[in-house]
Amino acid sequence: MFHFVDQILELESGRHALGIKRVTAGDTFVRPNADGEPVLLSCIIGEALGQLGAWSVMAAKDFSVRPVAGVVGEVVITGEVGVGDRILLDTTIDSMTDDAVCYHAVASVDGAAVLRLENALGPLLPMEQFNDPNEVRERLAKIHDAGDSAGEYQTGEGTAAQFDLSFDEVLSFESCKEATAVRTLSGSEAFLRDHFPRKPVLPLSLLLESLLRLGQKLLEDGGARCVPTGARKVKMSRFVEPGSPLVANIRVTERSPEKALLKFRCEVDGERVCVGQAEYSTVIGENR
Amino acid sequence: MNTDTIYPKVREIIADVLAFDEEEIQRDGSLVEDYSAESIDFLDLIYQLEREFKIKIPRGMIEQEARRGVANEDFEEHGRLTDKGLEHLKEYLSEVPEDRFTSGMQVSLIPTLFTPETFCKIVVREMEQGEQAASD
Repeated sequence: MFHFVDQILELESGRHALGIKRVTAGDTFVRPNADGEPVLLSCIIGEALGQLGAWSVMAAKDFSVRPVAGVVGEVVITGEVGVGDRILLDTTIDSMTDDAVCYHAVASVDGAAVLRLENALGPLLPMEQFNDPNEVRERLAKIHDAGDSAGEYQTGEGTAAQFDLSFDEVLSFESCKEATAVRTLSGSEAFLRDHFPRKPVLPLSLLLESLLRLGQKLLEDGGARCVPTGARKVKMSRFVEPGSPLVANIRVTERSPEKALLKFRCEVDGERVCVGQAEYSTVIGENR
Repeated sequence: MNTDTIYPKVREIIADVLAFDEEEIQRDGSLVEDYSAESIDFLDLIYQLEREFKIKIPRGMIEQEARRGVANEDFEEHGRLTDKGLEHLKEYLSEVPEDRFTSGMQVSLIPTLFTPETFCKIVVREMEQGEQAASD
């Protein structure tokens, strides 16, 4: 399932929402971190914050529109979330018009922030193109005020094969400088059933996670150990549908002993799909 | 308040939104033709201008204002500008070089005419209207 809000605790339509995501061992997007500990992918925490904001917007617009990924001014990763953790999701709508929503959000565990989104902007598109509005309305009723029974609505679990976050083929790789890779969705990926039922497309969150990993490989090829600390100015300008070969280029633009900044650009058939910047901190320096 | 005053900031924002160096942005350049702006970029640009200048830019305002005072059938026919519509648009987008307007151009292509100066004019107008509303 590609739903990541288990329970909505507070919902001020079009203004603010507070929700919960519980992380379980069966979650499709729990993967080992650098130390082998199972953690929820950071970009899925961002996805959960975006989905919570979407609930608030869709309720305010009486399920006539839905927000889709557009621009994320800044993603700041400040912690990891392990199995058994309960993530408090807090999304605030800064402004909403007929065509777009602007919001910021923070996810925390036991009072400590693990991920923030700043200046996120989502175009609002006709709901009918993506979902059955009645199904969306029913799902909101289930997770809103679900109280003690919320456990039965746990999200993110699935029996399908785990989605591989690597690209199909690396077309070029210049250690610590630049890489280009390609990936094509087959159409059988489990998340496409929910994202979206009437228009299956690659979620920005999974694209960004794949790019962060490709950038990490590029940086670590020199012997360093780096961790992604966030992303900036991420902009999605087109949907990526199954069968469309997505070509991603990522290059190192700044590097110091402590951190690195990479820029990425993804295209389908030569048309821009997604651009942005990825940031990393160096845990262990290069040995060459 | 005039467009010269705010142009440096508008240029900085446009360069940031479109991932160009500030020096590459020409005041009369076409955002679509010269800087590859797409619809998401216009949305991004409008939000950033609103945030920076503390204004609200009504969506679709450029086309709406260009149509002001002209009946719909006099402005366009089958999605294309009439001669009268074209003249009205030229007058409204006076900052856009004359040779970029084409006879019978599609209404949907009006955004291809927008320049950094177009957005400077919008910002100034909205700031002045905001000041006017505050003093009333």
